[in-house]
Amino acid sequence: MNIEKILIAFDGSENSRRAVAYTAAMAGSGPQRLVTVAAIERPPDRDLFPDDASWKEECAHRVTLIHKALADARDMLLAAGLSPAWVETRFVESCRSPLRESRECSIGTSIALEILRLADEGGYGTVVVGRRGVSKQEEFLFGSVSTKIIQAAKGLAVWVVA
Amino acid sequence: MPPSARALLARLAPDFPARHVGEIYTETTEFMRIGHGDVINLGERHFLVLRDEAERRFGLEDPKFWVKRCRDLQTGQRRILKLVFHESFPMTIGSMVVTCTRSPRKESRILDLVRGDDRFMQGETIPDTAGNPVRILDVVPGKRLDEKIEALEMPHRDYFFELFPEVLTHFIEACQAIAWLHARNEKHGDVRRDHLYVRYDSGTYTWIDFDYTFDFQDSPFGLDLFGLGNIIQFLVGMGQHTTQSVPPEVRARITTEDCSIMFPNRIVNLRKLFPYVPEALNNVLLRFSMAANVFYDATPDLIRDLERALDAVRSQR
Repeated sequence: MNIEKILIAFDGSENSRRAVAYTAAMAGSGPQRLVTVAAIERPPDRDLFPDDASWKEECAHRVTLIHKALADARDMLLAAGLSPAWVETRFVESCRSPLRESRECSIGTSIALEILRLADEGGYGTVVVGRRGVSKQEEFLFGSVSTKIIQAAKGLAVWVVA
Repeated sequence: MPPSARALLARLAPDFPARHVGEIYTETTEFMRIGHGDVINLGERHFLVLRDEAERRFGLEDPKFWVKRCRDLQTGQRRILKLVFHESFPMTIGSMVVTCTRSPRKESRILDLVRGDDRFMQGETIPDTAGNPVRILDVVPGKRLDEKIEALEMPHRDYFFELFPEVLTHFIEACQAIAWLHARNEKHGDVRRDHLYVRYDSGTYTWIDFDYTFDFQDSPFGLDLFGLGNIIQFLVGMGQHTTQSVPPEVRARITTEDCSIMFPNRIVNLRKLFPYVPEALNNVLLRFSMAANVFYDATPDLIRDLERALDAVRSQR
């Protein structure tokens, strides 16, 4: 298990910002570790919009917001003392996105499994995820990325920041 | 004012009473104005409107003014025309509120996808002159599954051993149909027991109504799975059982954990009511109970467990 590589699951929410803050506090001082903040694009459902133009507009808006949130997360890690060379951000486009440019994309059926795939492919030893603190009913109906990561993770450590 | 349908109906539907003849509509945006005796003209095709469809739930008729029961004037066949009606509304599920949206283009896309597959209702889309995608649906030749089950007059034990294995076999096929949609990144959107029909000819279970959608980012198929769970509870129980509907001595044995995670009065641990329900089947039901800690998030997982449950049911016969 490579304890020198940490992957933070990030979606710009308050919970994922807490995960970044915690990682900054843990990894900011001491030996250098590679910290990657990864966001998976989650475009809104196309069918919720009356036409494709308004859907594309909303997709573009969300992409702008997540890039800004990723930049803020990077600043937070640098401010905690991590070297710029050891902090990465990564944005994985959705295969459903009308704005997609890269060949690699997320099919979007499970954000948790996408995060674990990134961790596996990149040889990360630790995955950090924020937790919303949802009720059992909410978790049943809407799912929970953190729960799914805990259930499906193998061969790595999972830090859950609640 | 749209033109009169008098001459057209005299030619194509001479049996139709002249006093009810209405107008010809080539544009359906104002669907409330279109009613009995009017004709909807889409391209080369003409549909005589007979009435608005209505949904019967909880003993009440809920009219659907955007859904017209029609006669295809070229073929004489019955058709259902779904006109464009955009709405978003809060749907209450137990203590939760979910925003649902009606999406004509989603339904059109799924109709194209499932063409020729009798596990799904069939139809096509033709735009009206304003560009509204009008869905022209075949009437499913069958009966609602829940009505068939509710009409049974036999003890549960007899139902469970004589009829249920076949019901479960067909229901697994219906779940496979939903999994087939999910594998293509589509969801049904409104999986309910009154949206599943049993075909008169083949006995195949056929899903209807695909126009609902919802935005669940972390669990895109969560609501479909929840719907499948509700149906299997209904099928195993030969109806729904609540803490209010069972005798007091049975109620005394029921705990919170025996009930549905979303509906606290609905009993899902049916083995407590019918001890011959095999554990493999009851375990599927318990995944939808308050006792569950792990939930289904993929339809193939539910299907795998139902297939094991079917083996267990058959081995008890």
